[in-house]
Formats: sequence, C-alpha cells, structure tokens
Amino acid sequence: MSTTKTYEPSISRTEGRPLAGGEREYMIDVRTQDMEVNMGPQHPATHGVMRVLVRADGELITGAQPHLGYLHRCAEKIGESVEWLQYLPYTDRYDYLAAMNNNLGYSMAVEKLMGIEIPRRAMMLRTLCAELNRIGSHLIAIGTYGLDIGAFTPFLYMFREREWMMALFEKICGARLTYSYIRIGGVFNDAPPGWLSEVEAFCDTFEVKWREYYDLLIQNHIFVKRTADIGVITREMALDFGLTGPMLRGSAIDWDLRRDTPYELYDEICKDKAFEIPLASGEKGTLGDCWDRAWVRAMEMMESIKIVRWCLDKIEPGPVIGDIPKTLRIPPGEAYVGIENPRGELGHYVVSDGGKIAVRCRVRGPSFVNLAVLEELMPGALLADTIAIIGSTDIVVGETDR
Amino acid sequence: MNFQGIYDRIRSIQAPGVTGMDEPREPNPQDKKDKGRSGDPYVLVDPQRLPEFLECLRDDPSLKFELMADLTATDPSKEDGYLWINVQLLSLVRKHRLAVKCLLPKENAVMPSSVSVHRGAQWAERECSEMYGITFEGHPDPRNILLPEDWIGHPLRKDYEFPEEYHGISCK
Amino acid sequence: MGLFEKQFEDNVLTTNVDWLLNWCRLSSIWPMTFGLACCAIEMMAVGCAHHDIDRFGAGAFRASPRQADLMIVAGTVNFKMAERIKRLYDQMPSPKYAIAMGACATGGGPYYKYGYTVVKGVDRVVPVDVYIAGCPPRPEALLEGLMKLQEKIQASSVIRKPIHTV
Ligand code: SF4
Repeated sequence: MSTTKTYEPSISRTEGRPLAGGEREYMIDVRTQDMEVNMGPQHPATHGVMRVLVRADGELITGAQPHLGYLHRCAEKIGESVEWLQYLPYTDRYDYLAAMNNNLGYSMAVEKLMGIEIPRRAMMLRTLCAELNRIGSHLIAIGTYGLDIGAFTPFLYMFREREWMMALFEKICGARLTYSYIRIGGVFNDAPPGWLSEVEAFCDTFEVKWREYYDLLIQNHIFVKRTADIGVITREMALDFGLTGPMLRGSAIDWDLRRDTPYELYDEICKDKAFEIPLASGEKGTLGDCWDRAWVRAMEMMESIKIVRWCLDKIEPGPVIGDIPKTLRIPPGEAYVGIENPRGELGHYVVSDGGKIAVRCRVRGPSFVNLAVLEELMPGALLADTIAIIGSTDIVVGETDR
Repeated sequence: MNFQGIYDRIRSIQAPGVTGMDEPREPNPQDKKDKGRSGDPYVLVDPQRLPEFLECLRDDPSLKFELMADLTATDPSKEDGYLWINVQLLSLVRKHRLAVKCLLPKENAVMPSSVSVHRGAQWAERECSEMYGITFEGHPDPRNILLPEDWIGHPLRKDYEFPEEYHGISCK
Repeated sequence: MGLFEKQFEDNVLTTNVDWLLNWCRLSSIWPMTFGLACCAIEMMAVGCAHHDIDRFGAGAFRASPRQADLMIVAGTVNFKMAERIKRLYDQMPSPKYAIAMGACATGGGPYYKYGYTVVKGVDRVVPVDVYIAGCPPRPEALLEGLMKLQEKIQASSVIRKPIHTV
C-alpha cells in the first residue's frame, strides 16, 4: 500500500488551524510527528469500500488522498456491450440507494434519442417513484451519517420507514432494491389496486415521523457540535469542483435541476409551486459546513413528500407504457440528459450509431464528482472530523467507481 | 439561451479553438442510407485549445459556463482514427447547457489538461486517461483512479481484449 | 444417559462437550461489517429492527476482523479488493466462516461476462461455507443462509476426531 505522490502539507504548524471567528489554534507547544493513517477500504464509516489516506500531524490533518476503484464494475463497458434494454438493470446497480432515479436518467437519455412521447400516467408514476426513492436515499444518508458520528438509534428508526418504503416498491415492481421499474418508453406496469392509497398513508405517517428525526438527530446538540463549522465548502470551491445536489445547496447556491431545467412533469409542479428548494443559511455555524448539508437533505425529504402528494392528487387512469419493441434500434445521434438524483446531477451521455447496441454509455455519477472535493476539505480538520466530513458528502461507492 | 444563441455568441466573442458545430437533423428522404441525427447539438473545438476555450466561456458575462458537469471520451469504432472528447458545460446563472466535442487522433492522444480552469476536471481526466490512454499534459496527479496501478490496457477502447488472469486470479 | 440418570436436581442438564461447544459457537456468530456493494444495503436491513439478525445471535457487527467469526461478503469483489479480502480473512481468528451473499460474490453475477475487473466468485480468493442466491438476496434469504451455517457448525465436532480423517 504505497503512494506514488507525496504531497505538501497545506497547513503548517506555525500557521495553525483556522477557527471560527478568524482566530487560529496553534499546536507549537505539542511535539508531534507526521504520520499516515490509512482508512479503509474496509471501514464502516466510508459507506462502502473507499480508502482515504490521511496524513496527520498529531491531531491535525495536513493532507488527504482518496483512493477509489475498490468497486469498479465496468458499467460503462457493459453499456457498450449489451443491448439498450438489457442495460437497464445495470443502471440500478451503480447508485443502489436511488435505483429509480438511475432508471429514470437512462430511460430519458434513450428516449431523447428516440424522440418519443411518454404517456402521462407513466410520467406521474415515474415522478412519484423517483421522489419516494429520494426519500429512501436521504433516510439512509442521514441515518448512516448519524451512525458514523455516534448516534445509533436514529439509524434504526430510519430503517423502519425505509422498510415500509421498500415494501411499497416491492408491491409495484417486485424488487426491494434493484427495481428496473422505469423502462424506456414508460414504466413496467401499472400500480396495483390500492397502492396509491398506501402511498398516501405512508406520506401521512412519514410527516409525523420526520419531525421526530429532525428533533432527535438534526437539532441534537451533540450532532450540531460534531458537524457545525466543519468541512466548510465555499461558493467558489463548489463551482470549481462542479459539485451538484445537496452539496451545492448546502453552500446556499440556488440550483436544482428539477426547477431550473425541468424534465418530465417538474415544470407543471413548479408552476403549481408545489415544492420549494431548501437552501442552507449557515444557521448553526459557518455557511457550507457539514451540518448545513445534513439539514438540506432532511428538508428535501419533506419537499419530496409534497411532490408525491401532488402526483397522488393529479394522477389519472391511462396507459403506462408506449409501444416499444423488444429489440430497440435507436436512431444515430448523441444525447446528454442530466437529472436530479438524491446526490446531485446524474448525467447519462449516450451515443448511438443506429444499431442494437450503444456506442458509448457514459454515466456522470454525482458522488464521483462530489468526492473530489475531499482532498481540499480535509486539510486543517482534526482527525476525528474525517468521518464527519466523509459522511456529509453522502457518497455511494457503487457510483463513484461504477 | 438556446443553442443557436450560444453559438452566435461564441462566434462573436471569437472563442479560441472553435472549428464548427453540429445540429440534429431529419433524415434525407431521397437518400435511403441517411438516417439523420438525433439528440443534442454540440460545438466542435480543437482539443489543443480546449482549456482556453473553457476559460473564455467561463468568464464571458453572457455565457457564464462556470460549472463543468462532465468530461469524458468516446471511442466511436475500431476503424475510426479519432477519439472524441465530450465536455458538458452548465451555467447556473443563465440556466443553459452546452455540449462540446473535440476530435483527438488515436495515434497521438495528447492534449492539455483543463484542471487549471475547472478543478472538477481532475478526476474526470484521470478516468479518461486510464480508460482511453489519453495523456493530459500538465495534469497535477496523473495516476490511475479506478483501475489498479499495474493494469494493462485501456478498457474502454473498442479494441481492448479482456485479461486472462490478474495476480494469479483467473478471469474466466 | 445410563450413569447420570436421575442423579441430579431438576435444573441440571446433561450433554456432551461437542454439543455444548458447538452450541456456544453457533449462537454467537459475530459477523464482520463487510459491505461491498448493493447487497450491503440488504445486510444493513437485516441488522435493523424489521428483520433483526440479533434473534440468531449474530447481531454484533464488528468493525475489526480480529473480533469476528463470520465474514459476510456482501457484494461484488474486484481485483483491487480481492487482495484485501484475502488479508482480512487471514486476520480473522479460527474458527472462521464465510458467507457469499448475492450473485456477485457467488459467481460474478451480472458482471460475469463483461466485467473485466470483477472476480468471478469470492471463492477464488477465500473458502466459502454458504452461498446465498439472489441479486440482492432478500433479508430472509440471508437469515436462511445464517441458519444453514448454524446447522453446519452444529454438525461439526470439536473434541472427537472426525470419522473421515481417521
Ligand atoms: S448480487 Fe446484485 S445486488 Fe448484490 S452486489 Fe451483485 S449486483 Fe449488487
């Protein structure tokens, strides 16, 4: 386990570590030694198999280097090797916490090349499922974040709601985690009788439970102490690194693909003002710290509930999938579609030469891009904060490595 | 702004390296072989001048492409002598997107790195170079990112052959 | 039970040492947290309240291989990770067991044909006791796999020489 790059510590001991309010903390009185701490790949707090090589001077981190690729599963090569429809199940598997959103992104990219219309009921079901999945994904994100920094109980609570949500998905498509429900041209099948009212019941319960989580975890004093003022992402940094999703909104940059480049039914939803986009305000510390990002995720769950309710309100009977042949031949061309995944912009860039198999099927994973900021965030933090910082980026390793 | 507006603006500020553009079109009814082209329009740029081009678009007040959403490459086919470099730009202020494409010859796949313009390009370029064998000149950390350090070949090239074994573990 | 019959008070049980040791082992299998990919989420679900792996005494997920008895390989193994898995497995104290959870760990799963970096089954790296099918397996399937492992442990003998090696 050797590294080829030696990096300069960007914080020197005499310069000290910046504290909130412009002061600095010096560690000149303590004699420390540079050491390299290897976290991962098997580490419970890295949300999968990621390795971070942390260089520390005493307690102070002077450099960090993420090493990826422990879960590289060749998704892009497979995209160029199997037929268009066969690739759909693989999309489930790179961001396995938000499989519906991945299905949606891929289907939309292919549909853009085909230039076809989607039945309205199918769009409703797509939006509904994608938003439910967003809730599920954020539940895990916040739950495991709590777990990482020492709060075990909220994790169990959040899995309770997630189990319910998975049961809902199981009823509609038969799978708990890897759905392949959203297909090219529509969705796989119609909702079973009574399903929509079950979703409504879920929403009713969730709203009550959400309050509990919010008070129990997000506003918890210990949680705030562990996350506020840590891992601050400034506006310039966020843009420079191309961050998207809650990482961007955690730095108060008002950007959400659902509103700003509307796809599917989102322009109607925006016109009805059915949901808002929560923006962090640096309430507990500095703007753009870990707490802000966790808070944005928590608030987004409630906004998703609003969108789900909007869909339940407006849904009408109708067909759910167009007339799609088993073997697709996609007209030649290339298209890029970016959608708002729970973690940020999930982009699919597909190229077709008119045949049965794609020429290129690129996935722009939001976690992959968001994780790059780690190298910049870590120096200057304390060793115990690494976990808080990594957790707040909310990565799914399946997607960083694809 | 729509694509035409963006392209006109790029022309009028004389952004460096622009060589042309391509738009989707309908198939020609006279020609049976012509299937047309679907999808997104894009701007063609000289790969050697890509960083300058990106910088110009980032700083132009009416384009403001301050976020690089994606940088990737494509190997269109075994026979083709060129790789494509595909860049997706996004402007948060103006709310528009732009696809940029460069043609890079396969024999001499060397181009300047864009890290100085968008730091987000760093990992994307590392991925590109290990998957396609492109060298990005001036990249601060040109190691493999997803594949092991001693991996042989560039998997996303169309002529890639799957390995037989790796460190004693058979691949078949 | 000849000799011991009706010799003791009500609350004394008699058994053989093999059974007792096996019983101790199988009722406190401590797994290692070893989530690799999608299957790990189902493994987390098993650990949570709804499915509750604690009922089988296997709920104490350990972060360190030195404290664990069982390695649940939940997810896709690739070459970069394979060497680490081997090392982690070697660090576990005996008796140790491994469960291959999901199609990927069993045999490459959906990545069998085109996955150039995927190890086609974790049994090429470490010995596996129980294979669980599914992509991902349901939490119930993991519990079933755990019970199969317990059966296997129960059938092994600690004190007596196994007959087939005599
Ligand atoms: S078996 Fe399926 S669900 Fe499990 S890790 Fe492999 S692809 Fe993911």
